Amino acid sequence: MQLILANSTIFLEGLRQTFQLAVATLLCATVVSVLIGMLSVSRRGWARAVAICYVEFFRDIPLLVNMLFVYFGAPLVGVPLSPFAASLISLTLWGGANGAEIVRGGINAVPRHQTASAVALGLKPWEIFRYIILPQALLPILPPFTGLFSNLIQATTLASLVGVTEFFRIGGIIVERTTLQEGHSPAFLIYGFVLLVYFVICSALTALSRRLERNLQRRGGQLARVAVKPQESV
Amino acid sequence: MSYRFDFGYILANGPALLEGLGMTVLVSVISIALAAAVGVVGAAVRVFRVPVLSQLFGFYVEFIRNTPLLAQLFFIFYGLPSLGLGLSVYWSGVAALTVWGGAYNVENMRGGFLAVSKGMREASQSLGLRPLHYLWLVAIPLGLRVAIPAMLNTSVSVLKNSSYLQAIGFAELTFVAMERVATEFRTLEMFAAIGVLYLVLVLILSFAVRRLEFHLQRPFRTS
Repeated sequence: MQLILANSTIFLEGLRQTFQLAVATLLCATVVSVLIGMLSVSRRGWARAVAICYVEFFRDIPLLVNMLFVYFGAPLVGVPLSPFAASLISLTLWGGANGAEIVRGGINAVPRHQTASAVALGLKPWEIFRYIILPQALLPILPPFTGLFSNLIQATTLASLVGVTEFFRIGGIIVERTTLQEGHSPAFLIYGFVLLVYFVICSALTALSRRLERNLQRRGGQLARVAVKPQESV
Repeated sequence: MSYRFDFGYILANGPALLEGLGMTVLVSVISIALAAAVGVVGAAVRVFRVPVLSQLFGFYVEFIRNTPLLAQLFFIFYGLPSLGLGLSVYWSGVAALTVWGGAYNVENMRGGFLAVSKGMREASQSLGLRPLHYLWLVAIPLGLRVAIPAMLNTSVSVLKNSSYLQAIGFAELTFVAMERVATEFRTLEMFAAIGVLYLVLVLILSFAVRRLEFHLQRPFRTS
């Protein structure tokens, strides 16, 4: 306990890095999700093909391989990336693939007759999307997106392997330092503490996600639940 | 840009990569099988509301699903030795993947058990089947059919996440590739090679389980 208190400053710094990375990823991944999600419900075959290939590729390759590739591969094309930037890019590619499935489910959850009515009223395609589909799709998307954020926070631990000093890496640093100084490893205590902190944060998000979902169901049959493939977890 | 993709390099490293691939497959297969067993037992305990055990498994599922696998792996590999439970790199990897996949499988299998209708339970009670017989002869065969697609998803995740074991020095596919990249810098070749190998593994696993699913559904098909 003393050890954790003594290192509270750098633990907090690590937590800040973790949140910075997770929030930045969430923002970027949301943009990618919406773009790919829209492609995947397009009427054009090639657009759907692009979306399917993107989603399948980034869900089938291990996230760690994706991340190591971005980090070690970037210098080859002349753009060396910082560990943070490389992690942000690979987590965005991965989060975008999972988010795109959620967006697709959300758009599909809007009843067909809504679009048909809008067409009958003479709305243009972008107007239909902006005023009919989007407002109705947003609500059912919210619970799974909260879950995605929880998964992203867990996924940021991988960034420690390319050198981001986020929360998990800080734990490792403290273990190494204390082992060198005192001759015995505090790994049980430190990693136990690290697990506990992740547990508190992520269960709060999971609980929020469940609550949003219940609220949604209480609103009645107007909005269907988003049916998506189970999210990739790390 | 003066980088030239060299296929010969991949071929030259073929044996080493295949060895890593073998380790990945081995650790994945064992972990997937153990995780499936954990899932069935845990789900049965949850569904039949065995006192104490049910709550324990409930907490276990929540805890594992809300913490990162990498941290769990480090806790098992570096942390447990201080309790006298030190495991080798190999068994730490198996333990971490089993514990992780098992938590997801408990939920998957619970869905399968809940899909078995109440009537089945009542019918087997009136036939005089004891709870364990009901579980073994009715609930597991029927529930498994429902749970298999979800358990496949978890198994694919276990396979992909076996790449994390490189962080504790387990010589699986990603580890072998990273070792080469660190010394010889043929980054693109190595990542192309392991990317393809992982894709192939995932596709084979998906295909195999789809066949199994098809096979298990046979008694229920009408045509």
